[in-house]
Amino acid sequence: METSEILESGKIILEKWIESSSTPEENRLDIWVTIENFKPVVQSIVENHWGYLITITGLDVPPLFDEEKKEIQSGQLEALYHFANEAAIITIRVKVPYSKPQIESICDLIPSATIYEREVIELFGFDLLNTPNTDKLVLPDSWPEGVYPMRKTFTNLQVLENTTKEQPDE
Amino acid sequence: MNTDSENFYNQIVNKLKNWARINSPWAIHFNSGSCNGCDIEILATLTPRYDVERLGIKLQGSPRHADVLIATGPVTLQALDRLIRVYEQMPDPKFVIAVGSCALSGGVFDGCYSVIGDLNKVIPVNVYIPGCPPRPEAIIFGVVQLLESLKKGKNPQPITVPDEIPEIAVEEESNGNE
Amino acid sequence: MSEPKREKFIVPIGPQHPALKEPGNFEFTVDGEIVTDAAVRLGFVHRGIEKACEVRNYTQDMYLLERICGICSHVHATAFVLGVEKLAGIQAPPRAEAIRVLAAELERIHSHFLWLGVAAHEAGFDTLFMYAWRDREVVMDILETLSGSRVHYSVNVLGGVKIDVDEKLSDLIKKDMDFLEERTEYYMKVVTTDDTFIGRTRGIGTLSKERAEVLGAVGPTVRASGVKRDVRVNSPYSGYKEFPVKMITDETGDLEARFIVRLKELYESYRIIKEILEKIQPGELVTRIKRKIPEGEVISRVEAPRGELFYYIKSNGTEIPERVKVRTPSLCNWGTIMDVAVGHKLADMPMLLVGIDPCFSCNDRMVEVRSNSQKPQIMNWDGLRNYGIEYYR
Repeated sequence: METSEILESGKIILEKWIESSSTPEENRLDIWVTIENFKPVVQSIVENHWGYLITITGLDVPPLFDEEKKEIQSGQLEALYHFANEAAIITIRVKVPYSKPQIESICDLIPSATIYEREVIELFGFDLLNTPNTDKLVLPDSWPEGVYPMRKTFTNLQVLENTTKEQPDE
Repeated sequence: MNTDSENFYNQIVNKLKNWARINSPWAIHFNSGSCNGCDIEILATLTPRYDVERLGIKLQGSPRHADVLIATGPVTLQALDRLIRVYEQMPDPKFVIAVGSCALSGGVFDGCYSVIGDLNKVIPVNVYIPGCPPRPEAIIFGVVQLLESLKKGKNPQPITVPDEIPEIAVEEESNGNE
Repeated sequence: MSEPKREKFIVPIGPQHPALKEPGNFEFTVDGEIVTDAAVRLGFVHRGIEKACEVRNYTQDMYLLERICGICSHVHATAFVLGVEKLAGIQAPPRAEAIRVLAAELERIHSHFLWLGVAAHEAGFDTLFMYAWRDREVVMDILETLSGSRVHYSVNVLGGVKIDVDEKLSDLIKKDMDFLEERTEYYMKVVTTDDTFIGRTRGIGTLSKERAEVLGAVGPTVRASGVKRDVRVNSPYSGYKEFPVKMITDETGDLEARFIVRLKELYESYRIIKEILEKIQPGELVTRIKRKIPEGEVISRVEAPRGELFYYIKSNGTEIPERVKVRTPSLCNWGTIMDVAVGHKLADMPMLLVGIDPCFSCNDRMVEVRSNSQKPQIMNWDGLRNYGIEYYR
């Protein structure tokens, strides 16, 4: 099957949930869905055996001053679920606010997602509901709670200084 | 008379110990955040092309049996405790060889949030081997430099303060990170 | 991991295991001899590279990303460079694309030989380890003559490559490929006919096709189970459009199949390298690229020796990328171990772990002995390996 046909078949499966979509490259389809629709979308991809989950990418969208409305838009976290079928890639994108970064876990549908979920929980501070394992995966044991290194507000130097101070003198 | 014979006995034993140490140093390898490049080069020194075992150097599994700690990579926060534990478990006298740019100065990972920096910040280092990664020949050369220094010194003392790097240390190439 | 049941041992392994590779920690819960649960802890080599990418410019990032892993450094740089080139809307010259493939295939040969040696070592077959690593030096020599470094080749620059192959070097490579092909035939004979070795590999760690698909495994691990998943074939990139490769699969999905798939891939690599050297056209090596990369998002997938490597790059129109996400092949293959380990003997664990060719540096851009309330039986990697060898003696 041609790549475009595969993409089209994926689009048909997800048609009714799509809020907006774009094709940044010819083999890609980005789909924005609302947080309520997120679980059914993944479920339908899994049930239709459309490809496999490559990974989950976290993005930090820091607070931004809106020139038109003259107000500060609150910061958001965006999760990108990449699914690949041969050359075609469908990316399902969900946005959640800093204050309530909750997304349903997809580990019951795709067991291998647990490792990616642990990664975004640690690095971005997502709150994945019903995820089976929230143990630390990559960050050191001494890492402070509630500090998420991949957020834009996090800068290396502060933490580095703090941690080197804490070390016992040799 | 009694003390003299004791001295004599001690001298002989020390000479014998030193001789044994120089002729067959056992090394332990620890990766504290390296990219693998240095590690496979260290492993390559054991394989038929370089074969360091012919020189009496053996890579040893347990820190309690080792004389030399060959450490690679910048020190990450998670590996910090283990690195110190491995170092402390080694019997005296012990020597540390830092392999690769990262162990020397932090290398490309300098400034990353999970990286403390170079090895010298954590444990005293005796020999530095620069390179990214150093060739196996360079690693063997580094070990030989250490052994040469032991031969000259009558009774090698454990070095406990990081600043006191003995003169034999292979000078690190200036890379602007100092 | 859930609360371990009574009268079950938890065997922590690592992170410091001697002689081999990098730190990683696993916990196997055993009931007598049989493993009932498995857990992994990564993070000993976590350096925070993804974050570091956000403060360095594109050229610096290329060198930084190359140092994610010392075994597959070229593919990391290639994936990044291909992505950035796509964002900038430029195409590297055909000769540069061919040289990228040449370096990638040479790297695959060195990586597979490395793995063959390590896997043989874990099985207690040290002779094969030494043989494989001796022959690996042949490839290392080629790579060194080609690029000047044995490990981090730095072949890529944004917009092309910085090395070239001449007539003399091309003859040398062809001769060496013939030698390695001969050696590979010998290894193939060893892994498929040696009784003691087959005892450690045949029927061990079988991953069914369905399971492999569900778990999202990649690379030789999944191809050994008969799933056709290879980025070089599914979605040809760079020079693979011009020099197509054949997909190698096997049906059984056990450790033996993984050996066979990797060795067969070597043949394919030799063929591709010879083909490139025959057909490569003279021409430019670099296309000019602007320092500022236009705004946009790009996904770049490349087949590393261990499987599919995934890069997501987001640019905000400046010299510095907004976000670089790296998903390395070893990370998705962990799931298969956790799945396959259950029900196997403890003695098979080293072989199972090595079966996926794990690479901690890759993972740890992002494993420790977790303290358990019960007294766990401490067993280090060397101990476990010896245990495995003794068990099958």
